[in-house]
Amino acid sequence: MRYAYYPGCSLTGSARRLDRGLKKIFAKLGHELCEIPEWNCCGAFEFGDRGALIELSKTNLEKSRALNAGEGVVAPCPACYKNLREAHGGKTQAVYHPLELLGEEVTGSLNIQNDLKGQVFTPYYGCLLMRPDETAIRNKEVMESFITRLGGEIDGAKVKAKCCGGNQFFINKWATEKLSHAVLEGSKGMIVLFCPLCHMALTSFSRDRKIVYFTDLLLYATGERTRL
Amino acid sequence: MRASEQAMTIENLARLAGYERKDFAVCLGCKICGSVCTINDLSVAANPQALLSSLFLEKELKSDDPVLHYCTNCYNCTSACPWHIRIPEIVRAIKGKMGLETPFEKAFKSSVGIWGRVYEPYVFLKALPFLVRGGYLAYLTRWREYVNFHLPHKVRNVGGARQKDARGGKAR
Repeated sequence: MRYAYYPGCSLTGSARRLDRGLKKIFAKLGHELCEIPEWNCCGAFEFGDRGALIELSKTNLEKSRALNAGEGVVAPCPACYKNLREAHGGKTQAVYHPLELLGEEVTGSLNIQNDLKGQVFTPYYGCLLMRPDETAIRNKEVMESFITRLGGEIDGAKVKAKCCGGNQFFINKWATEKLSHAVLEGSKGMIVLFCPLCHMALTSFSRDRKIVYFTDLLLYATGERTRL
Repeated sequence: MRASEQAMTIENLARLAGYERKDFAVCLGCKICGSVCTINDLSVAANPQALLSSLFLEKELKSDDPVLHYCTNCYNCTSACPWHIRIPEIVRAIKGKMGLETPFEKAFKSSVGIWGRVYEPYVFLKALPFLVRGGYLAYLTRWREYVNFHLPHKVRNVGGARQKDARGGKAR
């Protein structure tokens, strides 16, 4: 299948690993990710004027139409995903978060080389993949399904949808530190997530916990990475 | 823009937030938004409902209101609200009107204004004094994996009005 791809700003910089991992996994699944030409920033949460914010994403959706990627738009960053979903208003092509396309029936077709037996994981979804209802992903246990299928142990159910405070990181750092600690202390094992901002917040405040993207886990399972 | 459109009224803020006055007027006053608010986890009392009431009662908003200062955009309030009222959107509209932005947020918007995208090296350097003062450099060793130098790409066709909005940091 052919999807239009909206990487968003962080995936071209600090979250480049997520970008590369996602492209590799989609290629393994036989899907093509076609980057939207001349895409612009979605504005994240930095605009008080929601009209201006929505307009940024509408422009990106307009640009994506030039690709004729009939399956819709894929946006990995939860903030970009939410903004694009709210801008499209159900009238144009579908907007997907990759987790919606990586369900059990899809990842079941991956050629698994490494299992996850004996390892503990906390699948962490954070805020924007879970709320608000209109834009939340439908399958809220997609990471758990994959991990348990490969023999991994799940922890941290109570914190999986709690806020890490990432949005406050460059405003009130102490607030992010306190909220991230609550997530870290309320869970065990490796934290598996999909949000670049959560990754930065939790990495900054964790002492010895490993924070990985879900794509890292998929690449390890398929033998593309030798360790997590 | 006329002065009446700039006033901090519920009508103007609702419009900025992408809604109408009636979308917020349905608030039942149940305060469930406050009980689920992430700000409570910071041991700071948060009351989004009181903030909303202040707008309807035309009381002057305090810039040090905890909801304005610490809202994380987690949408716990919206999910719990019987009417799914979008509190984070109205908070962002108020913050925009009040100009409550850190140098980092200003650098973010400045980058979008110049290139149409967030160019992280520019944002980092522009906000460097703020980052130094705030003790952020202590995390540099943990941020090694985020360092990924690349040249900026100037996006064509972002839209003049949008770029101007980003540069000025103000709502249109």
